[in-house]
Formats: sequence, structure tokens, C-alpha cells
Amino acid sequence: MKTVDIVERIEGEAKLVCQWNKEKISDVKIQFLNFRGFEFILKDKPALDALVYTPRICGICGQAHLKATVEALENIYKNHNEELILTKKAKLLREIGLNIEIIDSHIKWFYMFIMPDIVKFSQNNLAEYTPLKGKKWLEASMIASETIKSLALIGGQWPHTSYMIPGGVMSDPTLLDLISMQNYMDQAIIFFENSLVGIKLDNYLDFKKSEDLYKVKGDLKDFITISFENEFEKIGKSYNRHLVLGDSLSFEKGKINRKLTKNISYENIEELTLNSFDIDKSKISKEAYTWSKTALYSNNFYETGPLSRAIVQNRDFVNDIHRKYKDSMFTRILARMDELGFLLFKTKELIKQIDINEDSFIKPKVSLSDFKYGFGQSAVEACRGSLYHDIEIENGIISKYDVITPTVWNLGPGIEDKLSTSQKAIIGTDSLAKAKLILRSFDVCSVCTTH
Amino acid sequence: MVDSQEMVKKVFTTNSARINTNKGDAYYNSLFEKAKSRLAALRKQPALKDIDLMEVVESEGVNRRDFMKWASATTATLMLPPMFTPLVAQATELMNRVPVVWIELQDCAGNSEAILRSATPTVDDLLFDVLSLEYHHTLQAASGHQAEHQLEDAIHTFKGKYLLFVEGAIPKAMNGQYGTIGPGGETFEDNLKRLSKDAAAVVAVGTCATFGGIPAAAPNPTGAVGVMDIVKGKPIINIPACPANPANMVGVVLHYVLTGQIPELDSLLRPKFAFGYRIHDNCERRAHFDAGEYVEEWGDDGAKNNWCLYKMGCKGPMTFNNCSIIRYNEGANWPIGVGRGCIGCSEPDFWDKYAYERPMADANIKAPTGGVEKTVDEFGLGLLTATSIGIGVHAVASAVAGKRTVHSEDEE
Ligand code: SF4
Ligand code: SF4
Repeated sequence: MKTVDIVERIEGEAKLVCQWNKEKISDVKIQFLNFRGFEFILKDKPALDALVYTPRICGICGQAHLKATVEALENIYKNHNEELILTKKAKLLREIGLNIEIIDSHIKWFYMFIMPDIVKFSQNNLAEYTPLKGKKWLEASMIASETIKSLALIGGQWPHTSYMIPGGVMSDPTLLDLISMQNYMDQAIIFFENSLVGIKLDNYLDFKKSEDLYKVKGDLKDFITISFENEFEKIGKSYNRHLVLGDSLSFEKGKINRKLTKNISYENIEELTLNSFDIDKSKISKEAYTWSKTALYSNNFYETGPLSRAIVQNRDFVNDIHRKYKDSMFTRILARMDELGFLLFKTKELIKQIDINEDSFIKPKVSLSDFKYGFGQSAVEACRGSLYHDIEIENGIISKYDVITPTVWNLGPGIEDKLSTSQKAIIGTDSLAKAKLILRSFDVCSVCTTH
Repeated sequence: MVDSQEMVKKVFTTNSARINTNKGDAYYNSLFEKAKSRLAALRKQPALKDIDLMEVVESEGVNRRDFMKWASATTATLMLPPMFTPLVAQATELMNRVPVVWIELQDCAGNSEAILRSATPTVDDLLFDVLSLEYHHTLQAASGHQAEHQLEDAIHTFKGKYLLFVEGAIPKAMNGQYGTIGPGGETFEDNLKRLSKDAAAVVAVGTCATFGGIPAAAPNPTGAVGVMDIVKGKPIINIPACPANPANMVGVVLHYVLTGQIPELDSLLRPKFAFGYRIHDNCERRAHFDAGEYVEEWGDDGAKNNWCLYKMGCKGPMTFNNCSIIRYNEGANWPIGVGRGCIGCSEPDFWDKYAYERPMADANIKAPTGGVEKTVDEFGLGLLTATSIGIGVHAVASAVAGKRTVHSEDEE
């Protein structure tokens, strides 16, 4: 038997085509059928224009794209041994901006995309989570709007800001701005404490063991209860291989394939199109069924995202849950919400470190157009996982731009006899509703995937 | 927040900032009567959603007085005389009589994200509690086949009555295969045509839906176009910008509820109340422009003192939009507020013509003469390609005289 279903309430739409055998999913194809062609559009544009284009790849993680672009451009300087000085303040303002975007996204993802489906598995009436009108839905939407204002203070607006530029950032927040940002963070912390976990953030951050799960109150407890009632800790397991490409004050890079390695080389990244449509019709293979490409590291599929980040970074609580429940759907969702708490704390600390007397921008000595040829790469950790940009320029004009988004790592098509991370997680599931939830647990963004 | 409403109202009612949409007392008196009877008729219609706005507003801790302040600021924003304030307040309460269907095509979801954070006393509630959002791809409860049915139901039940909001461009190349939707793989173009057929009006939200946006940037690999290139024989309202300002989306709906008509539009089908003037006309850095004080390089003293960004490529002088007044994220800020210059995101082709740091001198565009009070219709579309005379005597003079090209990185 074959079923075709549409997954909405992600950004964009995905099509889930399942083959069934003895009431279990025996094969699955995840299709993304919307394409815009950013890599073609970026070609032949002045290098700095990428700073306006790439944030518009995605209305949810535009900051991440902006940061990836600016760092790829800066990497071109580095590859020419041209010194480029970045003040600590500039670095902080970039990372804080990105963290706030992740915080905002995690809140919305849990309340808008996860809970409405999870509560369908509960015996209780949890109408408070109903989209567009449930009390909790509205409250989450409100707090997300408030939180993101702290990014607007340094970025000018959200979504789609372009305040970063090679050499630093354009904005120069005042002390008052910084205090307002702290206040917005505090509001989000209060929401985390009162609504999401029902305990103080400090106490939550002290959790070390999976048994601490039982101390969680609040809305996350609803999730935990429903999960254990329905054995969500047993489904959605994949290769349990994890990849973190981005390195920052908040996250560490590394990979886990059986054991943890902190050595990451972009050389090992490979992008394939065997099962992907191509804009050049002559290159479309018979097997093509999606606009997403396939991304591999050292010839293997890896998962990327908050779960991967937590275990590469050795954060105790998630580590212990992961030890017990592996890379299940339950662990994946919980890790994302754990990251919310971690980032709220971390981002407040980072805001404190800003010295307003430092410069925000130091002008590079040479222009990108002074390089006859240049190439650069960058990776940042976006809400959904590792985002990779790869750029080549000739006389300041982009000759190649390649983007690999987190969703491509997690949800791109498998290749030949190898299943992709999400395919492996879904196969063996006994219901479509669960399959969709597993898909959602990766935090799918269709617009990013196909860009 | 309420004080920022006062500020908005002030800016919208001062003469210097306003385009002249005043149509005289006779016109407003008759519109007033018309609106009154329309609201009375709407009130008799069953609510699509059983929600009392004032209860919602009060439960969020906003009192009646603050709400009326909001209504009076919104009246000003819509460029209606103050006597309309009580009617605007009523219209807000009756927003649940107008069904809205929101679809996403070739987009980045940025406008949906933006509307999630629309301004004021609980406009989240205005929108989500009061507005009858019958279908929203990303936000609704239903998904999969259930969502499809819900959509079919909505367009059937509200035939001829619903407002169709469209986010994202429409790819025409390769028979539309760059974008398909639903289990049957309907192309975006067919989907849009089908859903707009029975809509009362189509509202294109964001620069992708209005003018093709970034997907239509050269070489436009997917053949992306905007809604007005596809939908014919229907009122279309364009709310460009990237992302569109939620205040303007709310404004359009309110205007429709209030009058049963779409607001007055310019030649690009943009509501004049929102796109009647340039960013530059109300920019907080305008005094520095007039005084010839410019940022010459990111991070310089001019930047630290919030001087004008014209030489850093600010496209405010040729961009029509009200974000210099309304700002973004509930008034928290706007691009020029952090010193980054306007990129002209509400103009057609901004992505290729106006992009980023390219200063005026290199951008192949020059603002025409004629002061700053002209509207896009007075200039016509020629504005966007005019190459005649530069603006700002100081800026031009120093650009010509100095070796200083505006491109900060090009300088030695
Ligand atoms: S106009 Fe901007 S916000 Fe809208 S869909 Fe396009 S890129 Fe996204
Ligand atoms: S050029 Fe830009 S920064 Fe300067 S006054 Fe005009 S809109 Fe404002």
C-alpha cells in the first residue's frame, strides 16, 4: 500500500509518500516541491549584495544566513592572508542576534508546530494548545514577539535584517538598548520558568540526570507525559550520528559517529543531486523526486540540530536522556526545548559582556573587488542545525554560491542504498500521524531546504 | 506602547508628512454615513467567531481608553479624519465578519512571521481572535487532507466574500513545475487562479507576491512573477516590503470592514495611506541630510551621531513606505534606526536595482527634483529609472568634488 500526505504547519509544505508493509512504513520519500533558485540568483552579483539576498532565503533563520554570508566573505580575506580585525563587541552583537533568533524560533516551534499534533495523542482535552485561539498558543506568540524585539534593537527589524558587514556590524547600541535587551530576555526567562518548565531557570540548568525529567512542571510536562504514554521515546530513532559544523561562544563544533571527535574539516562535506530535480533539465535523473539535495559528511548521513549540539557539547541533562532514550523523537524534541533554557541563560551573559566603548566596525584595508579570485566558507549553528555557505568570487563578483541548510542534512533524500537521517527515523513507524510527528521533530523548513 | 501610538498619530496628522488625500467634507460626510450603515449591517450578520473584542482587550490588561487611543492613531494612519475614530473602533470589533484565507506560494514565510508580531493592544488577538482566519497554511490547526478540506469549505461557504491574502511569488517557467501544492500537485499558478476566482479581493503581501521579489531577481531562474501578473478581473491590493509591515495588513482589512471598499491605491496598486510618501520624508535622520551631515563610513563619528546614511547607499529618498513612522516589531525599531540604510524593499526590482551597499552614484538610479512632497503617481514609474538630477546639493557636491566615492570599501 502507498499513501501520500501533505505536511503543513512547517514553513512551506512537504509531501510524505509512504510505502506500507504489514502495517508499518517500509519506505518513505520526503518531497519538497517548491524552488526559488537562490544559488543561480546570487551568481554574477556583487559580493556584498549577498548580504541582502541570503537572509531572504528564510523568514525564520535569516540571521543565520546573514551571519554565514558575512563570515564566508571574511573567510575570503583570511584565505588571502589579509588581516581583518573584528572587535569583541562586533562578534558579540552578531552572536547575540543569532541566539535571539534561535530562542524565538524554539518557542514558536514547540507551541505552534509540535504541541498541536502531540495533544491529539492525549486522552485529556488540551484545547489550550489549539492554534490561533488557544490560550497557550496566544501566550507563546506574544512572548515570541516580545523576545524578538531585542533583536530589532540591534538589527533594525526582524525578519530579514542586514546589519552585519565584513569588518563588524553597522549598529552601535547604547547602554539603554542593552538594558532593554536584557529586559526582553528576562521576560522570556519568566515565560520559560512560569509556563514552560514550571521551575526557576537556575534550578532547571542544574539538572544532570534523566530522572530530573520528573521535576519538570508546566507545559513541557504535558509533552513528557504524553510522550511516555505513547512511547515516543521508542520511535524516530535514526543513525545516532551527530554533526555540529559551527563554532561559537555558545556552541562547539564536532561530530559523533560512535565516538566524539572535535576535528571538523569542510573538505569532508559533499553535496549530491542523484535524487534531486535540477534546473538544467538535461541533468534531471529518473530517480529525482524533490528539490532538496543530499548532504553527506565523510560519505555518511549525520543528524544536525539541538540534540547534536547538546551531546557534542556534553551538556549533562540531555546527555543522560540521550544515553537512555537514544536519538528518539522524544529526545530530539526535548533537546530543542532544553536548548531554549540554555540559550536564554547564555545570551544574557553575552549581552553583559558588551563594552559599548569598543568599535562596532573596523574597516577592512582592501575591498573584496581587489581580489582577482577568492573563495571562502563558513558554518553557523542555526535554529535547526548546521548551516554552511561556500562562496567563490572573481573581481568582487560572485562566481559560485552554495548553501547547505540544516534541513538538507536531516531531510534531504537518501542516496542509492543509503537512507537519509529522517528516512531512517520514519521507517518502521506504525502510523501516519506518528510519522508526521517524527518528521516535525527535526524542525522542518521547506523554504530553507530548497532555497 | 500606547505612547508610541500617540507619536504615530502626531506624525500622520502633521501637514509636512502627509500626502494630500483630503477629499473634502462632502466626501467624508457621505463616506461616514456609508460606513455607519455598513457596520450596522455587518453587526447583524452572524459572527464567524464568537468573540467579544473588548473582553479580549481587557483581559490583556489594556483599558478602553488605551484602546480608543489606538483607534484614533489607526484612523490617522488610514488618513481618515478624526470623526471616524469611533467607527474604526467598531470596525475592529467586527473584523470577525470578514473571512480571510491566507496562502503561501514561492516565499520565505517571512510575512507570516511578521504578522505573528503585529502591533498594539493585542493585535495578535485582533488578528487571531477576532479576524476570521479561515485558512492559514502555516498557522492553522489542521494539516494534511484535513487542511485541504478546510480550505475547500472556506472558499465555498464564503464565496464572493473572503479576502485572499497571498504570500510569495508565482513561478511560470517550466509549466509552473517549480512550485506545486497539495496532494494533487496543483501548480502555484493554478492554485492562485482557483482561489482568487471567488474572493472579494486579493491582497498580495510582501515584495515577492507584489512584484516577484527575490525569486524574480536576475536571471529569474523560475520565471517568478507577482500576483497582479496572474490574477485578472479582481480588485488587487499590493502591500510590498520585505517583509510587509503588519500594520499595513491590518490597515487594509480594517478599511475593508469599515467601508466595504478597498483603500485608495497608487499606480502600483499600493494603498496610499501606507505608500503615499517616501521613507526620506519622515526619516529621523532627515535634519542631518538637510544639514549636509553624512555618515561616510560604517562606524565613523557620523555613524555614532546618527547622521544621514545617503552616502552609505540609503534608498530612502526613492522608496515609498511608511516604515519610518510605523517602524517594525511593534515599533521597536527600523533599519535606519540602527544605522544601516534603507534598501528600498517595497519598490519593484529593489533586489537588482537598489541592493545593498551600492551607493546612489553607482546604483543607476537618481531621485528626480521636485522636492520631497511628490508621490509616486506624480512622478510616475519614471522615478525608478530616472537618471536626471541628483538630490541633496551637499551630497552631490561632495560626491563630485571628493575622491570619496560612497562605496566605503572602494576607498583607499
Ligand atoms: S518579500 Fe521578502 S519576506 Fe516576502 S516572501 Fe519575499 S523574501 Fe520573504
Ligand atoms: S537619505 Fe536615508 S538616512 Fe538620510 S534622511 Fe533620507 S531616508 Fe534618512
